[in-house]
Amino acid sequence: MVINILVGGRAGQGINLISGMLSRVLASWGYYTFNYRDYQSLIRGGHNFNVLSVSKEPIYSNESTIDVMVALDDRTVKTHKKQLKRNGKIISFSQFKDAGRNLNFALAGALLKTLGMPVELLEDEIKKRFGNDSLMIESARKGFDSEKVSFGLEPQKSRKIFSLSGSAAVAIGAKNSGLDVYIAYPMTPSTNALHEMAKNQLEDGMLVFQAENEISVANMALGASFAGARVMIGTSGGGFDLMSETLSLQGITEIPLTVYLASRPGPGTGVPTYTAQADLDIALRAGHGEFPRVVIAPGTAEEVIEKVSEALFLAEKFRVLSILLSDKHIAESEYAVPVRKFKTMRFSVSRDVPGRKIVRASSYECSNNAESTEDASLVKRNVDRRLKKYELLKKFVSRKFEMFKVYGNTRSRNLIIGWGSPTGAILDVLKRGVDVCFLQVIYLKPLSDKIKRFMEKAERIVLVENNATGQLGRLLREKTGIKPHRKILKYDGRPFNVDELEKEVRKAIK
Amino acid sequence: MKKEKLSTKSEVTWCPGCPNHMILESVKRTITELVNSGKYKREDFAITADVGCHAKIFDYLNLSGIYGLHGRAVPLAIGLKIGNPNLRVLSFMGDGAAYSEGISHLAHAFKYNPDTTLIVHDNQSFSLTTGQPTPTTQKGYVSKSEPLGTFDEPVNPLMFALSMNASFVARTNARDMNHMVEIFRKAILHKGFSFVEVIQDCVVFNLEANHKDPRMYKIRDNFSFERAKKLAAEYDYSSKTGKIPIGVIYKERKPTLEEKWPQLRELMKLKRDWRRKPRSFKLK
Repeated sequence: MVINILVGGRAGQGINLISGMLSRVLASWGYYTFNYRDYQSLIRGGHNFNVLSVSKEPIYSNESTIDVMVALDDRTVKTHKKQLKRNGKIISFSQFKDAGRNLNFALAGALLKTLGMPVELLEDEIKKRFGNDSLMIESARKGFDSEKVSFGLEPQKSRKIFSLSGSAAVAIGAKNSGLDVYIAYPMTPSTNALHEMAKNQLEDGMLVFQAENEISVANMALGASFAGARVMIGTSGGGFDLMSETLSLQGITEIPLTVYLASRPGPGTGVPTYTAQADLDIALRAGHGEFPRVVIAPGTAEEVIEKVSEALFLAEKFRVLSILLSDKHIAESEYAVPVRKFKTMRFSVSRDVPGRKIVRASSYECSNNAESTEDASLVKRNVDRRLKKYELLKKFVSRKFEMFKVYGNTRSRNLIIGWGSPTGAILDVLKRGVDVCFLQVIYLKPLSDKIKRFMEKAERIVLVENNATGQLGRLLREKTGIKPHRKILKYDGRPFNVDELEKEVRKAIK
Repeated sequence: MKKEKLSTKSEVTWCPGCPNHMILESVKRTITELVNSGKYKREDFAITADVGCHAKIFDYLNLSGIYGLHGRAVPLAIGLKIGNPNLRVLSFMGDGAAYSEGISHLAHAFKYNPDTTLIVHDNQSFSLTTGQPTPTTQKGYVSKSEPLGTFDEPVNPLMFALSMNASFVARTNARDMNHMVEIFRKAILHKGFSFVEVIQDCVVFNLEANHKDPRMYKIRDNFSFERAKKLAAEYDYSSKTGKIPIGVIYKERKPTLEEKWPQLRELMKLKRDWRRKPRSFKLK
């Protein structure tokens, strides 16, 4: 059973506070949650909402219908009433007129009772976060007492679960790998990774620098990396465009560089606080000239931790450009993750760096002495060497890292292929008894040669992407010559809901 | 160290008579002097250059560094300092690169105040691309890209630097090697971002801007902001007459990027780069 809880109101009313407290309380009872954040590009007012989906099993998406609505204002009720299930429940701010600034705690208390959980769990959570505030606790109790139990949730086997956003995961993975320097310019949805990196930088032995623009971000990163630091930069589509010139400089200087690219709907400013997978093409090709690179797209926050580490490792080992491609949906959703030890690659800089020796890098094609050259044979030699490096890299990655994952019935005649954030909704579709095998592409560059075999075997290939043109589909066709039979594409700025996607998949494999 | 150690095998491809030859020689003399005084090792230096005639200096100097993209020498230099605050970093840019493509980086460099030096070869012309106007080109200059003549008044880089709270602003003359060596030395030894304008002729393009030597006069190092503004305003980069002051136009000791960031401060104190960083850093 999945319970979908929508918490809505104006920006600044504390929507995240309610869903955050609830997901931690639920985790302490052994429940998995998935929290989607839908917010506008404004700071106060407007209409924002979170959808918190709850399950006994790991869960990575929401349903489009709502079991419980927690409304901090009238607009929430008006906007989402049609999503409410027939026996769905509304917990409204109007029930707690006298709660004042502790409204959130009253609503959280009421929600807890609705779910059938003891109020003490919420009290502990409040004490942990805000200290022993008697007014907050009183409000929570009042809210709790005002409701009836609608869902009799039972405590699950004790397992340690923590809540993880894709942005926090970027920082965790990078720190575990020993990152020294992170440089960025704020841009949604990459900004939260910047905040996560910055907050404990001294304790973490790191330096986090906000530069004047993304061109500078990328150039500073190359400078710092050249000088011997392990460096990463972060941005979204527009900022990535500005970096393109410098990515090309990376290509010729072969100074290790890792870019975290969290995409959102474009073109232009697009819909800045919503989600899309429309930047795969630029991740694969941005920058003039021909040079090797790595593009890795994890599918969940948990995967981000390990993949950011691989991106950093490969950038240093092969002195290439590594791009960790994510999007708003992964970056800002909160995934419930079982506590475990994550595999991260720690590494050190063993190349020559300035300060001890004379080390030179150049944006021009160079002779052996790193001096500019226009000699035809040297130009060709350099190009060949860079391309050969890519072959070595591909071999290494194929041996060492998981380039794709396969889920579901591997003997099914139906194959779903997808990448990045839709992985969550697809995994939840698989649980609903649909006869499909799901191949999640994680390494977009290099792309595993083995993927072709799965595609050849399948009778019906269904492509699922959060963009309008099927960018992975094009890449697969380029690399395998095989065209997906059906495309399920969503490009309204919103992620896939599991029930809608299930319908689409069933239609596609009929 | 012999000065020759700073030379490379690259064929020098500047035009005969180009003042870049003299700038190169002055940089070599300055660094040789600094190394021989025991202050630095040759390996302590790192240079960044972007793209343009001036930037070829990268190929002719046997020092560590990055030959970057047009307009981007400054963020590369700041990156080098973030990556290792113990390096002595020198950047070379032209007037086109520094004041057109790279102006935003330059503006912020004054604010960050990294302990690096920027030498701008200002010949008031984009010469490697065959003579288009730059932001410092005099009004009325007729070129292939602006055959109607440049309509705009030029920018005054010194006024710009002062308005951005620069901690070191100097101007020198590419035909006066002794003066260049003196100014370059002072710029490198200055703690903070030192900005040096080198007034330079181009022997092929924008010839009408050349031969300003007789108008130049040397000043003593100036520490007064009010006087600096007056000195900077004396020459507007357009007029054919009037005096052009050269020397240290303004100098002030301000906290540097490396001193402001606790992490870099500690790496400097420990004389280390990030590869042997401490487990954590302290705020004070």
